[in-house]
Amino acid sequence: MVTDGPGVFRLINMNSVTKTYQGKNGPFNAVDKVSLKVEENEIFGLIGESGAGKSTLLRFINALESPTEGYVSVDDTDVFNLSRKQLRQHQKGIGMIFQQFNLLNNKSVRENIQLPLELHKYEKPLTVEEVLAFVGLPDKADNYPSQLSGGEKQRVGIARALITRPKILLCDEPTSALDESTTEEIVDVLKRAHEAFDMTILVVTHELNVIKRMCRRCAVLEKGRLIDIIDIAPKTRKQSYKSYHDRVLKVLKNG
Amino acid sequence: MVDAVREYIVRVIEFWPALFESLWETGIMMGFAMIAAILLGLPLGTLLYLTAKGKPMENIYIYQLSNFFVNIVRSFPFLLLVVAMQPFIRAVYGRATGDPVAASFPMMLIAIALYARFVQQSLLDVPRGVTETAHSMGASRLQLVWKFLFVESRSSLIIGFTTAFVSFISYSTIMGVVGGGGIGDFAIRYGYQRYETDIMYTAIIVIIIIVQIIQWLGLKLAKKVDKR
Repeated sequence: MVTDGPGVFRLINMNSVTKTYQGKNGPFNAVDKVSLKVEENEIFGLIGESGAGKSTLLRFINALESPTEGYVSVDDTDVFNLSRKQLRQHQKGIGMIFQQFNLLNNKSVRENIQLPLELHKYEKPLTVEEVLAFVGLPDKADNYPSQLSGGEKQRVGIARALITRPKILLCDEPTSALDESTTEEIVDVLKRAHEAFDMTILVVTHELNVIKRMCRRCAVLEKGRLIDIIDIAPKTRKQSYKSYHDRVLKVLKNG
Repeated sequence: MVDAVREYIVRVIEFWPALFESLWETGIMMGFAMIAAILLGLPLGTLLYLTAKGKPMENIYIYQLSNFFVNIVRSFPFLLLVVAMQPFIRAVYGRATGDPVAASFPMMLIAIALYARFVQQSLLDVPRGVTETAHSMGASRLQLVWKFLFVESRSSLIIGFTTAFVSFISYSTIMGVVGGGGIGDFAIRYGYQRYETDIMYTAIIVIIIIVQIIQWLGLKLAKKVDKR
């Protein structure tokens, strides 16, 4: 176990990970020798412009992408040294939400949320009703995704991730397809989830406000390289507006 | 006019047993073709999708082999496929001509190849995020196919099957050449060889009605299961 003094447990450990693609002008590194440690129970941000390699880095953790070089461990498990069955067990404990929500459109909200439970046996999963109530959609169980707004779809995505009580939640641009006030709602749901269900959250985004509101630490990536790890100043409680109209007035009129 | 209609009806009644028998023969061939399409065409198309470059079970050898099989069968002029398969059918089934079961062998082969291609196309239309989500949840390959890919492509799979079915009917009309019978054979024997044009048109109209009904049913079902 990798520990740094009492009480600090390094849950995710990346050591000099590199992902090389063969491009037209020779090989290039989408991720370039990045080393990173994420502590248990923190909300950690990965920020950078598009193409900076942040989504690729996030996907190393649940092996959706594999590095060309380097080492990734989660909970002392070497992620890229597992049999297929062990890898599935590893992925079982990690939830993920996506920019485009990735709900199955031919399944109802209920069926979508139950999907992870159909794939594996979980010891103490939540129920569909519990997670739907938690994300604030208690009456949408029998709807289909096509009947939901973007923000509602992402709430279902979060509910689907939470039902298994994952120890790690990966968020890939969770609010980038959403407008500003919906973004705030989703950020709130994620923060509440962090408080309620003891877990580590990693957030990839290019939206600095999302990072500022959620994270205590974040890594800055540029062209595949890790530029800096920032300790984020304690948040100043952002004013919430009654309506979209109020916000427009505030921003456009009072600058 | 009234006399002409009365005469036509009498002739249809006279030919009815023969027409019914050829419909039954067509039904046998179609039945074998459809079963083969589902039991073997569906898995083959899925394999084509899964083993392609960049897909979850990437395997160039299996992909190329399956692809080669589908291309060969589909590029074979059907009449020549029927003739070329004669020795094989005789070896397997005992006789190669004169009954609709023997005639079903080439039908099954084309059904597998044709529907496999449709299935591959349907699966390629499933958004990439679906596979990614399955992977992130640690789904096995079987779960990926059953619980994700087939769910999201089901209406397209049904439409593909409907289209394939209509093609099978067209293929089945050739089988008279090897004594397989069927509605196409009926039309040729009576209409073309005996100049009983009215009976031939009757057979053609029956074929058109069957195709229309199947097409309508297929689209209706596809629409019903499509929640996207």
